[in-house]
Amino acid sequence: MMWKRLIRDLKRYFSYAKYSARSDLKSEVASSYLNWLWWILDPLMFMLVYTFIAVVVFKSQVRYFPIFVFIGLTFWNFFSKTVQGSVKLIRNNQNIVSKVYIPKFILVLERLFVNGFKMLISLLLVIVMMIIWKVPVTWRVIYMIPVIVILCLLTFGLSCIVTHFGVFVDDLYNVVQILLRLVFYLSGIFYSIENRLKDPLRTVMLSVNPVALLIQSGRQCLLYSMVPARKLLLLWGAASCLLVVIGFHVIYKYENSYVKIS
Amino acid sequence: MVNMDREIALDVKDLRIRYRCLQSFSIKSSLLKLKKADARVFEAVRGVTFSVPRGEILGIVGQNGSGKSTMLRAIAGIFSPDEGSIDLHGHSVSLLSIGVGFQRSLTGRENIILSGMLLGFSERQVREKMDEIIKFASLGDFIDMPVRTYSSGMHSKLAFSITAILESDIMLIDEVLSVGDAKFRKKSYKKMEQLITQEDRTVLIVSHNTDTLQKLCTSVLWLHDGQVRMIGKPEDVLPAYDEFMS
Repeated sequence: MMWKRLIRDLKRYFSYAKYSARSDLKSEVASSYLNWLWWILDPLMFMLVYTFIAVVVFKSQVRYFPIFVFIGLTFWNFFSKTVQGSVKLIRNNQNIVSKVYIPKFILVLERLFVNGFKMLISLLLVIVMMIIWKVPVTWRVIYMIPVIVILCLLTFGLSCIVTHFGVFVDDLYNVVQILLRLVFYLSGIFYSIENRLKDPLRTVMLSVNPVALLIQSGRQCLLYSMVPARKLLLLWGAASCLLVVIGFHVIYKYENSYVKIS
Repeated sequence: MVNMDREIALDVKDLRIRYRCLQSFSIKSSLLKLKKADARVFEAVRGVTFSVPRGEILGIVGQNGSGKSTMLRAIAGIFSPDEGSIDLHGHSVSLLSIGVGFQRSLTGRENIILSGMLLGFSERQVREKMDEIIKFASLGDFIDMPVRTYSSGMHSKLAFSITAILESDIMLIDEVLSVGDAKFRKKSYKKMEQLITQEDRTVLIVSHNTDTLQKLCTSVLWLHDGQVRMIGKPEDVLPAYDEFMS
């Protein structure tokens, strides 16, 4: 029942999400011509700051530290911006939602496309940096594909659930903001969980927090020609799929009442 | 109804729509007060049954709060019924007059395409009608400006033009239009009349103006407190309604 509806809705509204995302990106660029530069400048600036703190102040020994930080920030920005944006997603789209039917997960998908495109640009910059730093590349970079796929699934599933609760809970925005800040510091974005921490804390942090795991895996396959922790990735891949299913289910079950609440 | 031999365009059976007075809450206040909010249920539409043959123009009258707009929004698919069923027999449907929502940061042109897609048209179909919509809306250069820069009149002119030019089989009209300036109002009224009187278009009009309904409709439905009070020919229903209201 749900699957049939899902496939039908995807068929009918997918192009809407695509077109809407494209127009959104275009209007962001049009409103100020520095704008698309901001997509890169934002992580670039933070990369410089963290590199200064880690390398100069704390004498970090991580190889390719600037790229190391940049990969972390790229993943993190995609994840946190999508999740945070979904809290008020229905409210911000009130004038569409109250006038015509649209499957509400399409709105989440649209945000995923917008932030995903920015992540893509960021990743292109990673490649440029890898060339500049002359990072040796092996076939293991293909692990980047499952890593990105899992990151997208995880972000989408979580965002759907947050979108649902965002309709009913007024101060969810603050809660999500605090939680995201917490996860940010626990995800090893500007330090290496692998080298800085000892077991069992290291294992716990990498297996409980999927964002930390994905960031670490991305760095391993891109920078250090290592095979990431495949079993853990598979496990979180399955968990992310489950999150997506739950997200669809919750939104389909309750989207009817989103319009009636004001 | 008048034409029993014609195929049915819209079937509404025992329609019930409830508003569970669900209020959004904050975690802070629900932690401070352990009192559970009582979920009161308000039934806006209580068991309405009717069917509309193709090509018919059905007027809907009733006091404020009798469930007219709620019913129209349910027929448009914005929310689904709590009980009962709405069968459109595969026809496309659109709510004229309020139009579809716009994304304020995007241009008028982009919003035309997005709105059309939400109404069930493909990007190509909308592009074919684009010039006609832009001409009808007569917004000049503003069509390539973000919608947030529009005045409220321009906003509703664009909304009306999109729904009027991208025709659907069943049109729902909530309140007779008072869109834009006098010139556009005349134009839109003429366009609406032209849309309404097309042979195979089915139209549902909600209005308080009994004169307009008398002129346009082939039958009238009177809703009272979410139930059908009367349904039939305009000359039977409208006088009774007028008498009730005075």
